Order: sequence, then structure tokens, then C-alpha cells
Amino acid sequence: MHLNFELVTYDEELDKFELDNNKYQIEINDEEAKTYELLKSSDMSLYNWLKESDFFKKYMKREVCQDSESKKFAISDINGTSFIRFYFFKVTSGDSHYEYFKKLFNIHDESEWQDREDVGEEILQHLSTKRKELILELG
Amino acid sequence: MDNKYFEKMLSKMDKDLSAQGMSRREAMKLAGISGAGLFMGGATSASAEEEKIVKSNAKGKIVIVGGGLAGMSTAARLTLNLDNPDITVIEPQDLSVSYQPGQTLVGAGIWDEDDIAYERDNFVPNGVKVIKEKAILFNPQENKLTTDKGTVVSYDYLIIATGLQLDFERIKGLEEAGRAYSAGDNERLLKALGDDGICSIYTAKGATKTWEQMQKYIAQAKSGKKTKFVFTHPSTPIKCGGAPKKIMYLANARLKEEGARENAELTFYPNGGAMFGVPEYHDAILGQFKREGFKWHYRHNLIEVDKEKKIAVFDAKWQEKGPWDPVMKDFEVIPKHEKVRVPYDFLHVVPPQIAPREIAESDLGSAKGWVPVNKETLQHIRYENVFSLGDVAQVPMGKTGGSVRKQYKVLVDNLISLMKGKKLEAKYAGYTVCPLITDIGTVMLAEFDWTVKPTPSFPLDPTVERWVFWLMKVYALKPMTMYGMLSGRA
Repeated sequence: MHLNFELVTYDEELDKFELDNNKYQIEINDEEAKTYELLKSSDMSLYNWLKESDFFKKYMKREVCQDSESKKFAISDINGTSFIRFYFFKVTSGDSHYEYFKKLFNIHDESEWQDREDVGEEILQHLSTKRKELILELG
Repeated sequence: MDNKYFEKMLSKMDKDLSAQGMSRREAMKLAGISGAGLFMGGATSASAEEEKIVKSNAKGKIVIVGGGLAGMSTAARLTLNLDNPDITVIEPQDLSVSYQPGQTLVGAGIWDEDDIAYERDNFVPNGVKVIKEKAILFNPQENKLTTDKGTVVSYDYLIIATGLQLDFERIKGLEEAGRAYSAGDNERLLKALGDDGICSIYTAKGATKTWEQMQKYIAQAKSGKKTKFVFTHPSTPIKCGGAPKKIMYLANARLKEEGARENAELTFYPNGGAMFGVPEYHDAILGQFKREGFKWHYRHNLIEVDKEKKIAVFDAKWQEKGPWDPVMKDFEVIPKHEKVRVPYDFLHVVPPQIAPREIAESDLGSAKGWVPVNKETLQHIRYENVFSLGDVAQVPMGKTGGSVRKQYKVLVDNLISLMKGKKLEAKYAGYTVCPLITDIGTVMLAEFDWTVKPTPSFPLDPTVERWVFWLMKVYALKPMTMYGMLSGRA
């Protein structure tokens, strides 16, 4: 089985992510494929599994980081499961992203007074921590 | 226990009940409150929620900043739960334990200010020291604080229960009002609001003034003149999220009583996009608004009052579909704003509400000012010997007495666990309650928690307005609060 994935690069100085337009593919063995099948419906579990997998780390060091040692990466897509919103969410992003992050970060939206911008700022605060967790450590 | 109060309260309640052809027992049955001593005259502080208390030998100097309902109930419960309590409360206001939920009823002339005024000194548990000063400087690194009179107080454990401040000065035209607390001398605020239709039930004296102004403009409507009643809800968390609507419902009831409703236009301008955070209650309230012929405009935040021209200026917000975002694969949503000028005759202002400056600017406050605590254990997220509850705590639900009623028990259990070096196991589930007065004689008892679902205590449809809940609001909740909670039991 193949795992297709995409990456974003992280600029530490600017604290900013950029799209890496390459598409990558790794062949995984049966056991890894079973794990993938188990985790594919839970996006964060899927992310953490791939991030921590030896086969993935080896691939990254061998194929991706070789020419860009100073760059930092995070995964933006695994077989169609997108993580793009983690890196590019902004206060004006569409409603579906708000709903996703409200659920993920357990944000209680007090609709009697709280407006969208206020909730958006709260999401960004949570994301500033979450983004650091998502960056790959390949050292 | 004040037996005279209960006798008076029960006699008034029996009179109301008999006018409806009902006995006290029948009323209780209707409410499904089996064994609710509060309705049955056997109301004692303990009978509301009888429990066995095992005293702990945990030791430590506990300082509570704020002697309102949250602070004093906590002091009382700690006194009950500790063998050798060493508790100090820092509170400058004499009337700090006054019954704030009654301010709505005062605002509509159902109660007087005297009915809600309670002296802190009558509710100080035995052995608890009170420093009648205001804590203004906090040094949590050294477990010390300083008061406005220069008294330095050290502690082993600190509980922040200061309540919140009413930030009238954020509204242009009302800057002179400054910041106020619910109780205390609010002459400056009352002067700034003036005598020409602007009012707010969010202070005790302001509630009395609301009733004066309400009568004046009901009389105007009765005289045949078209009269605009405007009600607001700000863009901050507020204490008792239902109160902005309750006073509107009560103004409506008083207008109907006087036969003046047809000349009055009642309009609600909330900052948010819904009537209530819980969809079931939102739907119920919307139905009530339609039934009563109210108008409403969502996403309007009061930012200015032109007192001379009698114009309320709102920041009105809406959203427009923005450009396609190719990275996020979605259309952006662009927030838009514009100023909307609304003429009024009677303007009920719910002020923005904030954490007191001395908390917000200390290491104990969060970026937004509130005290950041674990929402379940109520322990400060940085200082393990600090806890917070009530309006000042950064808990994402319900700044109400109903919330405090659940929080103070959790806090006391967890503080004693900490003092004994044990794990903090008590958890606050986000319960809060809003007895939403929808008319003189009916209340919808909106209870909910972090599940954002109705969590009714009674086996009745919680979205239905009931007379029996009115009885509970008017007769039972005050004694439960004043004599149950403030004795640390209910």
C-alpha cells in the first residue's frame, strides 16, 4: 500500500507556514497498512502516528531533508486527510473551520454575546500551541 | 436562621397561592419537588440539601478576596469542613452579600431595594476574620497581597471571589459613570445615567431607578404617546445572561397591566446572534418574543448614548461572503460593521462587564482579565495554591448564583484535598441556572451545563413557562441563597 502525503514548510523567524508544492509517496508494509486503516478516521491520531513512525522519519531524512537541512516541516495532507487549516486558519476563514476547531479545542461558544471574531481569536491562541506540536522533529 | 423572614415569606406565598385556589402542598406537587422543604415551611438551611460533613484536620491560612455570595459561602463551608479553620475574608463593602438576583424584581417594582439589601457582617461565620479593606496588589510568588490601606496579608491558600465590574465608562456618553460594582455607593453612576429614561438594573440602586423610569414611560405610553422601550445586551460575558431579557418581559407585563402596551414598542438589541446559548431555550424565547410582539435586532452592541437627543448608537455587525481561499478551499467570511442610531424614550443599559482592574493587571489575571482556572477543579492554572469562583473566574459558562452554588462546594473539596496533599477529584460540570421571568407570574427555568443541553432538575418540560417556578423565584430562591448557601450547606 502507498501513503501519499504533502508538507508545509515552517519559517521559524517569521513564525509562518508556506505550502510545499511537492507530493510525496511512501510504500508501507502490511502491518503499517493495518495501523493506517485503524487510524485513518481520526485525523489527529493519524497525524501523530505518521509523525512518530520510523519509516516516515527515515523517508523524510533521506528524501526530503537532504537538500533542505535548515527547513522545518509539518504534514499538510495524508491520503486526502487535510491538515491545511492548522497552518493557514485566520479569523475570516469559512464556518466549517470554526466548527472543526471549536470541537477540537473544546471551545464553548457563548452565542448570547460572543461574536465570530472573538471565537476566531481564541482558536488562533490554541493554534499557536498546536502548530508547534505538529512540526516534525527529525533531528 | 431568620424565622420571622420565613413566616413573612410563607404568609405572602400562601396568599398568592390561595388567590390561585391552590394549597402549598398542591403547588409543590405541581412542581414535582417532592420533599422540597423550602416550599413546605420546614425550610431550614440544612433541609434544602441535607448532607453529612466529615471535618478535616487539614491546616493552612486561607485568604478569600471578595466577600460576596461566592466568597462568604465558601468561607462558611470551609468553616463547616475544617477542624481548625484559619480563614480571612477581605471585603470593603458592607452590603456585599446583598441578593443580586432580586435586582430584576426591584427594577419592575415587585420588590423594594430593602428586600435585597443584606449586611455582610450578619453572615460572617464564627471564627472567620474580615478585613474591611480592598485588596489591590497581589504577589502570588510570595503568597502575599496588599490592601488599599497598606495592610499586607500573607496566606497559604488564596481564593479569588471579587466578582466583576460594570464598565459603563466604555460606553461613549456614559464615561462619567465610571466602573461600578453591583452593591455600594453608586451615586456617580446614577448621576451619569441622569433622569431622562436611561437606567440599568445591574446595580441595586440602579434597579430602584429603573422602576422609577419605567413608571414614567409607562405613564407616557398610557397617555397615548407612542413610546420606544430599548433593551441592550453587550459584547462581553455578563452576570445573569437572562437579566437583559427579564427586565424587558417585566416592562411588558407592567405596560399590559396599565393598558398601555399598544402605545409601546419594545425592542431588544443583543450583541450576539441568538437569544440564548442553548438551542432549546433560544427557540422557546423566540416564540415568547413573537407572542408578545417584541422586536429584536441581533449583533448590535451599544457603544454610545446621546443623552440630549435620546439616541442609542449601536455597532451593528454582519458577515458577507468573501473571496475564495484556494489554500483553505473555502470562501472567506468578511465581518462588516456600521453604526446604527436608534431613538429611545426608555433605554435599559446592560453595561460591558470586566474583571476588576487589580485582578486583570496582576499575575493572577489572564489576558482578558478573568482568573484563569481549570474549569473543572477551579484551581488556578499557574499557582496551585490559588483558586477562584464566581463571576471573576474564567469559567466558560454562566456568571450566576446558580453556578456559584455548584462551584463553591467543588472548590472547598478540592482545596481541602490540596491541603492534605491529595489529588483534586471534585469537578464542576458547568451547571448554571437562569430563572427567566417571562411575565409577572411566570418563569421558564433554564438549567444547563457544558453539554449546552437543558439539564432540568424537575420532571417537567424546561422550555415551558410556569407559575410554580415564579413562586420559586420570588419566594424560595432568596432564602435558599441567603440562609442555605451563605451557611455553606445548600
